[in-house]
Amino acid sequence: MIGVALMLIAFSVIDFSGWWTVRTISNVVHFSSILALIAMGQALVIVSKEIDLSVGSVYGLTGIAFITFEQSLGVPGAMLAALGIAATCGLVQGIAVVWGGLPSMIVTLGGLFTFRGIIYVWTGGSVRNFSEEARAHWLTRAFGGEFLGFEVVLFWMLLMLVILSAMLKLTRFGNHLLATGGAADSAESRGVRIDRVKIVTFMICSLMAGFAGIVTLADRPQTHVTIGDLLELEAIAAAVIGGCLLSGGRGSLLGAVLGAFIVTSFRYELIALGAPSSWFITFVGVVLIVAVIFNQKLARWAGHNV
Amino acid sequence: MKHATQLAAASLLATTALAGVAVAQEKQFRFVMVSHIGSNDANMGWLTESLAAFEEKYPDVTTEYISTNNYSVQEHVRLLEQAIATRPDGIAVPIVDNDAFEGPLRRAIEAGIPVVAFNIPDSRPADERIPYLTYVGGDEYLTGLHLGQYALEQAAAGNIPAPTGIVCASHDAAHQGLKARCAGMQAAMEGTGAKFEELFIGAEPAAARNTLQSFMQANPETNYIFTVAGWSSPWAWGVANDMGLSPDVDNEGVTVMTVDEAPVSIEGIRAGHLLAANSQGFWLQGYAPMEWLYWNKTLGYEPKSDILTGPVIINADNADKWAALVRSVFGDQEYDNQNTW
Repeated sequence: MIGVALMLIAFSVIDFSGWWTVRTISNVVHFSSILALIAMGQALVIVSKEIDLSVGSVYGLTGIAFITFEQSLGVPGAMLAALGIAATCGLVQGIAVVWGGLPSMIVTLGGLFTFRGIIYVWTGGSVRNFSEEARAHWLTRAFGGEFLGFEVVLFWMLLMLVILSAMLKLTRFGNHLLATGGAADSAESRGVRIDRVKIVTFMICSLMAGFAGIVTLADRPQTHVTIGDLLELEAIAAAVIGGCLLSGGRGSLLGAVLGAFIVTSFRYELIALGAPSSWFITFVGVVLIVAVIFNQKLARWAGHNV
Repeated sequence: MKHATQLAAASLLATTALAGVAVAQEKQFRFVMVSHIGSNDANMGWLTESLAAFEEKYPDVTTEYISTNNYSVQEHVRLLEQAIATRPDGIAVPIVDNDAFEGPLRRAIEAGIPVVAFNIPDSRPADERIPYLTYVGGDEYLTGLHLGQYALEQAAAGNIPAPTGIVCASHDAAHQGLKARCAGMQAAMEGTGAKFEELFIGAEPAAARNTLQSFMQANPETNYIFTVAGWSSPWAWGVANDMGLSPDVDNEGVTVMTVDEAPVSIEGIRAGHLLAANSQGFWLQGYAPMEWLYWNKTLGYEPKSDILTGPVIINADNADKWAALVRSVFGDQEYDNQNTW
């Protein structure tokens, strides 16, 4: 919240007329919402003291599956099948991490390459056309149209924020997730099945990435096999900037959403100020490091062991 | 009986030996194309189809197509070094980066492996560039230049607005061929007084849209968008359309141009979304390098100039013919699948 406030003040000072326009805010909020869906899943994984580098590829694979399956399964069937693929990606990786005893960074790095490779092999370099009938389907419009003058992805993102925040703060599973990331040994000694918790968390993360892919393509079906390329880095950056500690056990889904907003806003402002757009990746790296240092100091100041 | 057995054994031996010779004659040469156009790029089909046609004509040659699947110069160089280590009879490779490719290619050429550059040449002066046999491909600078000149002709004829700002949207900041396309467009627009910007949008569709839209908002004078990949042209058109900038080809709003004889480019022109694209002769870029490698190995030929296969402007006047041609190569189903408009 502090970061967003500082950012908005800074943008208002240096570029008031460019920043505070309906079109600018709409553009930033649109992409922020897509990124936030992925970042929220990532935040849950980070809270469990793991990381998922495959979310960009899962986002892409699910989106490609949605478009490809539509011809044979129709829009509802394609959505379910695509989300099934996303859940499977998370399940397989979760099992490899928990039961295989492998570092999540390595497993999900493998997932990043594997799922991207599947996209290339499956599509042969070109993504199918999404038919006019499919674009006009009520379900496609429900996920990809506009509502009250806003892109519906904003409302889906807010809905998921409410659901996942409630899950994290109010449910037994959320309690177990925080305990697993905070002190796994202690949690296990109190009967928490940390293996199940982590596997389910990986599945939720992949489902969120896949859902973001579907929502994106329902709205703008003209895509390419590069869909999701490097989005994992922006999603991790958003989660960390939003206050997720890589040491696990602490994190905020609202923070991840605000982190996505910050990352996207800076992309706009860098371009608006005339900086080469390739500087954006440098900016994300710098802000990421600053955010990690700031979050750690803040946590230590609050008396947490990080 | 003994003589008969010996005769039969000798006949079998002779037959086997002859068959072996025949096989050796059938596959005397192995040429490798080390490409950056991988399975993440539909243009790969042009190249692999043309290599198959070449093998049909020259049965004593084996062709291999290996490629990266992402936009990584480092990975491309690694692939090239691996290909050189297998001691092929010839290599065709795009010079995506002069400095990165210089070392491995000079070593290959010194080891007696002939090299033909395709798709992207060494951009330096002739006496400084990597000593490959020849370059077969389009001229990326001319691609941008001629597309820009075509746009200005259309503006002069009153078919589209005169340029007030031009953005060259590129998905790969390290690709010197794409930079050359932008440079050609910039050269064409010099003297018009329009502001020119090269913008790195990346290859991720949603992020690219976000980047381009941010640029268009911050630079409202921009009314020409040049996407240096055909597949990103619908994104540019979509951004301009969402912003209410009238991106179809008419005498108002934004005008979008792109490249490639890809279905998405051709159908964008036919639908009135895109002003023009170009063909750089992809099929020839696969076939002709193999032929020059073959002639070099068998006849010692060394071409003394580059061999340009493009650009050819694709516009509303000839898009129907291009569609028919591309359909004949890709097939109707694949063509329609690749039309993502």
